[in-house]
Amino acid sequence: MTNYYDIDDIVMEEGTVSVIFQKAASGVGIDPSSVMDFIETGSKVELPFWLAHELQMRQAVSVNVPSCFDQKTRLEIQADSAGVDLRSRCPFFYDFGCKIAPIVGDRTIGFLLLSAFKSRYKEILTKAHSVAFPAGSKFWTILTKEEINLYETAQSAMASFKKWRMGGPRFQIASVLGKKRKSTE
Amino acid sequence: MYGKTACQLVKEFASGDKGQLVSFNSDLFQQVVAECSQHHLELQSLIRKIQEEGLDIQTARNADHYGALIHHLALVRNKRCLMAYVYNRAEIIRNLLWKIGHVLPQEIEEKLCHAEEEHFRKHSTALKSYMSKVMVDLTVDMVPPKDPYIKVRVLDDIGDGIMLSDDKTANFACHSMHLLKRTDAEQFVSRGQMEELTG
Repeated sequence: MTNYYDIDDIVMEEGTVSVIFQKAASGVGIDPSSVMDFIETGSKVELPFWLAHELQMRQAVSVNVPSCFDQKTRLEIQADSAGVDLRSRCPFFYDFGCKIAPIVGDRTIGFLLLSAFKSRYKEILTKAHSVAFPAGSKFWTILTKEEINLYETAQSAMASFKKWRMGGPRFQIASVLGKKRKSTE
Repeated sequence: MYGKTACQLVKEFASGDKGQLVSFNSDLFQQVVAECSQHHLELQSLIRKIQEEGLDIQTARNADHYGALIHHLALVRNKRCLMAYVYNRAEIIRNLLWKIGHVLPQEIEEKLCHAEEEHFRKHSTALKSYMSKVMVDLTVDMVPPKDPYIKVRVLDDIGDGIMLSDDKTANFACHSMHLLKRTDAEQFVSRGQMEELTG
């Protein structure tokens, strides 16, 4: 069970999946294609994950595999995993994959996630310890949120190590106040 | 789509850097609360409809049941977003107390809503009363210093007549340098009014 207050978890569960309603539902305006507030059995609707998951547990909908785990992405990952833009497909590729796999009952998603992570992990870690990429460079834009966390952790570990070796001021301005020395007057 | 506004609120919180505050968005917050009331009304009307048809609420599995279920889930989701927003902000605010002391600078205080200011004040009072009971200042640096004194340079005109712990007053004019007790200097450094000199 993830933390109830976890911001990343909340944002991740907003990711949309397409579902097919097995039961009819009335009085709800979640199907943009229908004029009435009524969902027929068998209609295909895009729902956020949090809703799709709960409805699936009550056998009200069946969930399709989201497009970010489709055949095209798989082939791209097989070809050159480090260069694939996973961020634009799904900002939480790995966590979302872990959540979606048991619901859609697709056993191959697990292998896909593992092989993608294994090959990308090495790349990220070497880069994090050697070069600092400016924010907004191409390297950043293809990483998922999990990979960015990993990258930042590796960088801060390196910075702490350097600080420990070289020494430096113990006290510093609190990070909330920002880097600026003087407030704008 | 249901829950969109609430998620927007959470995303806005997440868009800031870690540990940084953005202004409390009471506008969006109220919108989500209004959305919750709307869900509640529709949920009630659907349940009333099931009852009027003479069905048992516990066992009925018709279209109205699933409609009511969706409204219920949207309510729970909105609640989670609102709770997470308030909870995570409160955590940052409590951390401010430990990092920059009992008085908040103007630019941060503007970002808090009234209830959050209250929370900060009460947390500060509680901490002060606890520290006076155990007679230890808990907000000082966690690592024991090698030297009780440090050299600092004043970056901001703090003014004179600041009372130090050894009952002396000092004149902290801008750019002057001082040798101070660590505990005295700490709060000024963390507020960005002094910097520590090394070497």
